[in-house]
Amino acid sequence: MTARFGRLGRLLALLALAAAGAAFCYAAVRFADLSGGNGKPRITVIIKESKSMEFWQVFADGAETAAKEFDADIEVIGPEKETDIDEQIAMMEAAVARKPDAIVLAATDFNRLVPAARQAGDAGIPLIMADSGINSDVPKSFIATDNVAAGEKIGGLMAEELAGRGGKVAIISYVQWTATQLDRERGVRNVLEATPGVEIVGTFYSDGIERKAYEMTLELLKEHPDLKGIVGLNEASSVGPGKALRDAGAAGRVKLVGFDSSIEEVKLLEEGVMQATVVQRPFNMGYLGVKTAVQAIRGEKVPRVIDTGAVVITKANMYEDENQKLLFPFVGE
Amino acid sequence: MKWLPFKSIQTNMAAAFASLILLTVLLLSFIAYRLSTSAVRMTAEDYTAELVRQVNANIRTYVDNMHTISSLALNNRDVRSYIAGADSMPKEKRKETEERISEFFHSILISRKDIASINIFGYDGSFVSDRRDAVLNPYVSIAGQSWYKLAKAADGDVVISSSHVQPIFKDEYRWVVSLSRELQREDGTGVGILLVDLNFNVMNDMLTQIDLGQRGYVFIVSHDGNLVYHPQQQLVYSGLKSERVDDVLRQGSGSFMTDEGKQSRIYTIQDTGFGWKIVGVSYVSELVGNKRQMDLSLVLWGSFCLLVAIALSVLLSRKLSRPIKRLQERMREVERGNLDIYVPPDSQREIGLLARTFNMMVAQIKELMSQVVREQEFKRQSELNALQAQINPHFLYNTLDSIIWMAEAKKSEEVVLMTSALARLFRSSISKDQELVPIRTEIEHITNYLTIQKMRYKHKIDYRIEVDPAILDCRTIKVLLQPLVENAIYHGLKNKYGSGLIHITGERIGDRIVFRVADDGVGMDEETLGRILRPDGRKAEGRGIGVANVHARIQLHFGRDFGLSYESEPEVGTTVTVTIPAIEPDAGEHAANSGQPSETERREDGEQPGAGERAADSGQQSEAGPADSDGASGGKEESR
Repeated sequence: MTARFGRLGRLLALLALAAAGAAFCYAAVRFADLSGGNGKPRITVIIKESKSMEFWQVFADGAETAAKEFDADIEVIGPEKETDIDEQIAMMEAAVARKPDAIVLAATDFNRLVPAARQAGDAGIPLIMADSGINSDVPKSFIATDNVAAGEKIGGLMAEELAGRGGKVAIISYVQWTATQLDRERGVRNVLEATPGVEIVGTFYSDGIERKAYEMTLELLKEHPDLKGIVGLNEASSVGPGKALRDAGAAGRVKLVGFDSSIEEVKLLEEGVMQATVVQRPFNMGYLGVKTAVQAIRGEKVPRVIDTGAVVITKANMYEDENQKLLFPFVGE
Repeated sequence: MKWLPFKSIQTNMAAAFASLILLTVLLLSFIAYRLSTSAVRMTAEDYTAELVRQVNANIRTYVDNMHTISSLALNNRDVRSYIAGADSMPKEKRKETEERISEFFHSILISRKDIASINIFGYDGSFVSDRRDAVLNPYVSIAGQSWYKLAKAADGDVVISSSHVQPIFKDEYRWVVSLSRELQREDGTGVGILLVDLNFNVMNDMLTQIDLGQRGYVFIVSHDGNLVYHPQQQLVYSGLKSERVDDVLRQGSGSFMTDEGKQSRIYTIQDTGFGWKIVGVSYVSELVGNKRQMDLSLVLWGSFCLLVAIALSVLLSRKLSRPIKRLQERMREVERGNLDIYVPPDSQREIGLLARTFNMMVAQIKELMSQVVREQEFKRQSELNALQAQINPHFLYNTLDSIIWMAEAKKSEEVVLMTSALARLFRSSISKDQELVPIRTEIEHITNYLTIQKMRYKHKIDYRIEVDPAILDCRTIKVLLQPLVENAIYHGLKNKYGSGLIHITGERIGDRIVFRVADDGVGMDEETLGRILRPDGRKAEGRGIGVANVHARIQLHFGRDFGLSYESEPEVGTTVTVTIPAIEPDAGEHAANSGQPSETERREDGEQPGAGERAADSGQQSEAGPADSDGASGGKEESR
């Protein structure tokens, strides 16, 4: 009888072996499937502003493109206004609580987002910074325009416009203590302060509000009738002064170089009120943000810093193939 | 069966079945996999090609629409007259014509959602648009636009632009595809440019909805390498992505595959015929992704089939091996000693045959065993008989009587001789336990016996023993010759008138030893002769009791080839021939070895060693030995 059991046992062992083999194959395939796609990585993308700014729409577009390509699930969220730092902090904390596989963040404040970023780091969620960084070592990677270089570019353009004659230049910035604005201003100052004859009358903060920048410019024109140039450090801070110059009849006399793009800026460029603008690549930022996040989730090594570059747009090159898509990112109305 | 590791036939069968099935399943799966892989791939390629054709058809429809509209415009009477002589027209009339043209363009546009605008730009600076309130962008030079320049250079041919932003209207930056051609008078001089703008978003919407797998996409490149449409245009322009535009431009319609490892793509190209190329790009790894799903189902189904197969093979092998197992169990019973076993014949032929053979075998074993028991019984009986023959009490009384008479007659020397012969006779018969003894011992024994008999019957008996000394060490069964000699004396010589001779010879013939005991006595008739060797012979006559026993013992010991044979002729004599195999002392292992010690033992027992020696001596000279006669003792013996 025992011999019989032994035989039966062996048979059962054979069966079990086969079953185990099948299970193993199944698991292997399942696992391969999992790492290959079905268990999609979840990525939360937190932008600075979710309502109207074209920049962030294009950014989100790039992020969606990468999500499709790398088979990730992404949600793009952000405060209504980029000055709503508290709201963004709250969003960040809520995102950490949802435990996504990675977070891509464009910080509205260089310092105040740090604690929330640390929470993400403590929770083991890879954090990728895009466009605007924070004062922390937690982020795995920082994907943005090299704003110092972009500032230097626009500073160089202003220096060119002044054609060596020098003069007074004002810098219209947006939200103080934002990392991007700090870098851009540094870049601009790096160049202009080294240019003989150029005098920087000051940096003025528009808080990213066009109206404020407009009025600020009119004030400046009164205060400094011999103002030779204005450098705008973001879209609102470029369009506001542009409109002010147009309205004050100072177009051409006061040179204007700016940042970013919009229909308003395109018009200002066409009219010749604005001489040049430096355009970033928000699409690439969004794309690379998500791509890098996916790489970080997979445990691949990601670069600490990725410069998405900036393009100088003037009236002469604005309708070139490469630039059209940057200035007019959307085909529909 | 060495390669099958299991001991049980059932497990082995199951394992064999399972591996057979496994092999088949694997082979089939592999083939199916290969076939379906290539099928999937071909389907994917066909699908892409079909999709690209579809896109081409759609794009062509739009472009053909633009063509139609441009022809429509050119054939319009007002437009024709406007071309023919706009500069010669009076101002009023010209304005009127322009308004009618604008109206006409507007009416076309109302029915066409895909057309953004229709305009005529005269070389003289005039401008007619579908929109009556159209304001041109003052900061943009119309003549600087590429569609304007290209149309002018094309000399009346249609020019289709790439997708671009149309900046010519104030506050309007639409993405369009422009069709432009020069308006020419009949003499071929150009008067202006006709521009038909197609809303690019109709194409864009159509193109973005195309699904070419997770990552696959469609793009359109114009003949000069500009991307008309690309879902990742910005990535391509900024160099984050490379697009094989050069390869695409070099090739007409068709497809090619890039060699980028895991990122390998298949490009399917379709030439639109008006300078654009539509390219479907699909990732090879996504076909592999499909393949993975296929792998999964294949593995799942395969393992399911395998499990079923294993279960089946277990069941099957159990069913097949059950009769064998049953047989095996019965065999084990037999092994334990139970011979009363019967295996019911199975329905299956081979196994049934096996069972029948087994039954037969068991029956035979049983039969043989009982036979052995019977033979042993018989053997024991005949040994006993032999022993009885040896120590025949009548013989003893008669011999003792003879000794007494001799002693009374003061024949002391004869008394000594007879007594010592008697003693030796009994000593040799007491040496039991060994079935086989040296022939030498047997000869000694018969010599002693004959010595006694000759002394008793005096002149009536004479004897001669001639045995080849070479066979003296060979073995034989005990008390072989005594019954024969006894028979010869009592039935051959005693009844003869005068003296008789018993002649014993022993020689080796081949591998046999042949003894002959011949007497010249009264002989036997045929009937007695026929009866003598039969075991029941003694019942008919006293004669033969020992003889038949000797014959039976020889045959029991050595087989049916051996035994006794009688030749006899009445009044002439009888010769009995004894045939036994020649058994060399060492071949008779046990018997030979134990024969010697037993003799030594005898001497060491302290039983008159001298007497033994003397007996041996006297045996050799027994021919001339003293004789004695006693009719009474003979009678007594006979009456036994």
